[in-house]
Amino acid sequence: MTLYILRTVLKMALTLFVIISAVFFATRLTGSPLETFLGDGLTAEDRELMIAYFGLNGSIWEQYLAYMRGIVEGNFGLSFLERRPVAEIVAERLWPSAQLLLASIGLTLCIALPLGILAAIYRSAWVGSAIMALAFIGYAVPNFVIATFMVLIFAFSLNWLPVVGNGTWAHFIMPTIAMSGVLIAALTRFTRNAMLDVLGQDFMRTARAKGLPEAVVILKHGLRNAGVTVLSVLGLQIAGLAAAGNVVVEAIFSWPGIGELLVQSAITRDYPVLQFGVIAVAAAVIVINALTDIAYAFADPRIRLGRG
Amino acid sequence: MVRQTSRAAPLIALWAEANWVQRAAAIIAILLLLAALLAPLLAPFDPLKQSLISRLRPPIGFERFRDGFLLGTDELGRDVLSRTLYGLRLTLGLALLGACIGLLIGGTLGLLAGLRRGWTEDVIMAGVDLQIAVPFTLIALLILSIFGSSLTVMIFVLGIAGWEQYARIVRAEVRKITELPFIEAARASGGGPRYIARRHVLPNIVSPLVVQFTLSLSNIVILESTLSFLGLGVQPPTATLGSMVGYGRDYMPTAPWIVIAPAVAIILLTFSVQILGDWLRDRADVRLRGR
Amino acid sequence: MKKLLLTTAALVAASGAFAQEITVGAANVSSYLDPGRDHSNVGSQFYYNAFDTLIERDHSQLAPVWQPALATAWTQIDDMTMEFKLRTGVKFHNGEDMTADDVVFSLNRMYQATFAPYVVRSKDRLGNFAEAVKIDDYTVQIKVERPEPLWETLVSLQQVMIIPEDYTKALSGDPMVAEDGDYEAFSLAPVGTGPYSVSEFVPGEKVVYSRFDGFWGDAAPLETATVIRIPETASRITALKTGEADIVTNIAPDQIDLIDSDPNLKTVGSATALFHVMIMNVNHPNLTDPKIRQALSLSIDRDLLNEALWLGKAVVPSTHTMEEMGALHMPELTTFEYDPERAKELLAESSYDGAEIVFDAFPVYYTNGVLAAQAIMEMWAEVGINGRLNVTDKWTGNDPEMMTRSWSNPMYFADPFGSFGVMWAPEGPSEGAGRFNTDAAYAESWARFRFSQDIEERKAAYVELMERIKQDPPVLPLYRPFESWGMQQSVNWAPQPGHIPYVLDFRAGSISMSGS
Repeated sequence: MTLYILRTVLKMALTLFVIISAVFFATRLTGSPLETFLGDGLTAEDRELMIAYFGLNGSIWEQYLAYMRGIVEGNFGLSFLERRPVAEIVAERLWPSAQLLLASIGLTLCIALPLGILAAIYRSAWVGSAIMALAFIGYAVPNFVIATFMVLIFAFSLNWLPVVGNGTWAHFIMPTIAMSGVLIAALTRFTRNAMLDVLGQDFMRTARAKGLPEAVVILKHGLRNAGVTVLSVLGLQIAGLAAAGNVVVEAIFSWPGIGELLVQSAITRDYPVLQFGVIAVAAAVIVINALTDIAYAFADPRIRLGRG
Repeated sequence: MVRQTSRAAPLIALWAEANWVQRAAAIIAILLLLAALLAPLLAPFDPLKQSLISRLRPPIGFERFRDGFLLGTDELGRDVLSRTLYGLRLTLGLALLGACIGLLIGGTLGLLAGLRRGWTEDVIMAGVDLQIAVPFTLIALLILSIFGSSLTVMIFVLGIAGWEQYARIVRAEVRKITELPFIEAARASGGGPRYIARRHVLPNIVSPLVVQFTLSLSNIVILESTLSFLGLGVQPPTATLGSMVGYGRDYMPTAPWIVIAPAVAIILLTFSVQILGDWLRDRADVRLRGR
Repeated sequence: MKKLLLTTAALVAASGAFAQEITVGAANVSSYLDPGRDHSNVGSQFYYNAFDTLIERDHSQLAPVWQPALATAWTQIDDMTMEFKLRTGVKFHNGEDMTADDVVFSLNRMYQATFAPYVVRSKDRLGNFAEAVKIDDYTVQIKVERPEPLWETLVSLQQVMIIPEDYTKALSGDPMVAEDGDYEAFSLAPVGTGPYSVSEFVPGEKVVYSRFDGFWGDAAPLETATVIRIPETASRITALKTGEADIVTNIAPDQIDLIDSDPNLKTVGSATALFHVMIMNVNHPNLTDPKIRQALSLSIDRDLLNEALWLGKAVVPSTHTMEEMGALHMPELTTFEYDPERAKELLAESSYDGAEIVFDAFPVYYTNGVLAAQAIMEMWAEVGINGRLNVTDKWTGNDPEMMTRSWSNPMYFADPFGSFGVMWAPEGPSEGAGRFNTDAAYAESWARFRFSQDIEERKAAYVELMERIKQDPPVLPLYRPFESWGMQQSVNWAPQPGHIPYVLDFRAGSISMSGS
């Protein structure tokens, strides 16, 4: 087990290194940042001056080395636009995004797990069909469509809910729902399918044959085994949503989150922010994934023992 | 002709055992497919033809409706119905192409990783982790800003959008299956990895792959519209369903029909595709059928 | 009161009867606040509330009327020198007294710039200014290199607003020396002498102004004004409806009716002192023939664009001129017109071979920008030009491959020099970018236009420049866009005619709240 964790951690570090390097070179491919945010109205001479000012005048390898050296020292550079440490800028944005993400995960688990289990148990009854139809609808409607229509109805027409920022709990309602729609649908489906797979397995019949009550059979044996699939799906979905998945929702509700920041910095070619933002998000996601993997190993003895 | 009837027979059997939701989904999907294929015949107008004097006209039945423009006109006076049909055509084409590319790449790599193990698995799974760790919208954003937004780049982006999920699922399933007793038995009785893959693994991963394919098909439709929402989709005046919603969203409060028509098309598309996928999954699942 | 169900006490107060606080929903908020290095349309919203210049325009009037601000009197000593008597008792927001040292520091940071962003910004408009010299604690002289016809105009620019010397120098490194780090730190914690201090600044997200009780002039009418970023148009309008915002910016003409139809809301707007333009790369191999560029320009029906996209509220110019320019406003010139027949003739005479002509446009930055671009492609097609739209966030104006693109040419200050002049000067940014050429004759006309003390001579020189532009066009001004602000009925605010575009002016006399 220790070996397994060690391996996971090592892999994490390697992945991060590759990401940092890849993002560095990818952003350099996109052309000088000046083309975008200082572009209009500079003479050739002015451009030289600004390129030197932003420290973009060395060769790409010199810049890469300098950047890597900075990272080792914990210095991730200054934003081209704001001229303040990027760590500070990203830190400001992390918490609002995390809040929204946590709210969405909470809502999703509360709704999707019970629904998924019900749908599996009553797969032939109308309850099952109704739940699945709902899940399909939730999945079919893109989050920005939910968001725009909610804004139109609950804010624009009825004036019930606020639309700007994350000031109060009321501000959380619409963004959380908009973000959770797809998550709930996905998780309900996967919970149901995983449960169905498990319900058909031999050990379930054995458990039933032993005369255990159905609820115990389902919750103890069924959920535990289905949990492997559910966990991996949840991990995947969180990974997807951790940053850029909520870009659109953040934009519509003027949510001061990291997804919006990353898109803005990609568009304006604010490399230092983009790089650090990606690294921060990637690190967060990699850690979540590693934890999922380890949890996966705990949940599934075959993996734990097989790869020990 | 003979071949066709022999192929149609299982389809009829399928239809017979479907419930009404599934039948509705099948009909919707076929209609959407037909609409997409026949868009040039069905569209009453050239989807690009502007008429600046008849901008933002509402659909039939509303005040200021203008003859012929059944679903109204958009911000440049183009026919919303025609644009929706052509948008559907492009969106569906892009999504299918993207999903197939993703399936091909991800499925192959996942299978390799699950069967070969060792460094092959490590490299492939590192790639998977890499893609998972960087949110895909960001990857798409980077690619689109490096190479500019165009149809080719879009297909490429959509193609690599979901491969890691196929790879992860296929590998996980392969692992699960290869450690089951009956595979051990097959291995013990001398079955090589290729035999095991064909005989035992492939039949067992079809069902999760079908589920994933449907999910990814709608994911791709949604990804495409999200990128368009951010202004990174195909170049105007060409429109996909997504970019119609994206460019039309500023007009939501005043001219919602610009957004509603393509939004409904997107929803119908993803909805029907998923119902179908799920239906196929239930049927393909050996264990379920055995019960 | 709006019927917003769930809200905070602060929001209630903001929309309530006390009404000394307002919230503004802006499409964009600056990433930094330093009046010196900024000349963006986004930035110009923010400086006037917190900073002063030596001389000020009466912004309620279109024609230039100069008023004392931080300087109470100014006299020309000789051709090259102007002397300013400074106001006494002026305090910066941090409590420091404003003296000649601060003024000299602020001006020379631009006139003799070493910090790269200042160098770039001062060159195109302050090139003639040599230095500022302290005479005594409340007297300053400014020296120029050639006799300056635009003294007051160029002393009242946003770029030469006054900032505190000691505060700025102490922000980083050696507190006695002005380093680049000081200016960078200043732009995150700006301090000026205006009626509001910037009490909170979250770059790109939020600016909070608080009334500055030590202000030298009329007290600020608002206790606080909070500007937050709301990028989505629909969200901005919704925020106005829910009462979360009292004023919202950047309302397109299509949305005006929607806001006006709500009895609690209203809009005000004006044709902004800025042109949306199409620029053409005179050095692109496909476009070197001036006839092709003339055809590109003649085939665009700008009046139709105005009617359709701006509901006729924009202003289509016949030449590169604006009424803000007073004596130099020359609407009688016809430099740009719509003549599709002539365009076809020119194309036939030209070397045009049907090659694709790419038009680059920003996706969202300019209101109606992509719509106008798509319409222009249709208009080109009408006369046989094979246009293709390329929507991109990238600024391609420096790219030799760029053929045509959309851009804006703001009025940085009320003179043709502040609009046409800044962008199309010899060796200026357009020529520097390699998409515009000038020769000795152009430079000679330009120098007369820029430096002549005689208005008629300046006008005559400008006529020559416009004729050059007409014959060998690098640019077509499309229109002055009609920009609107939506607001609650209780807010009395309107853009002042004497400002540069987009200024959010909340000073005394510019805004008031009627109790609701």
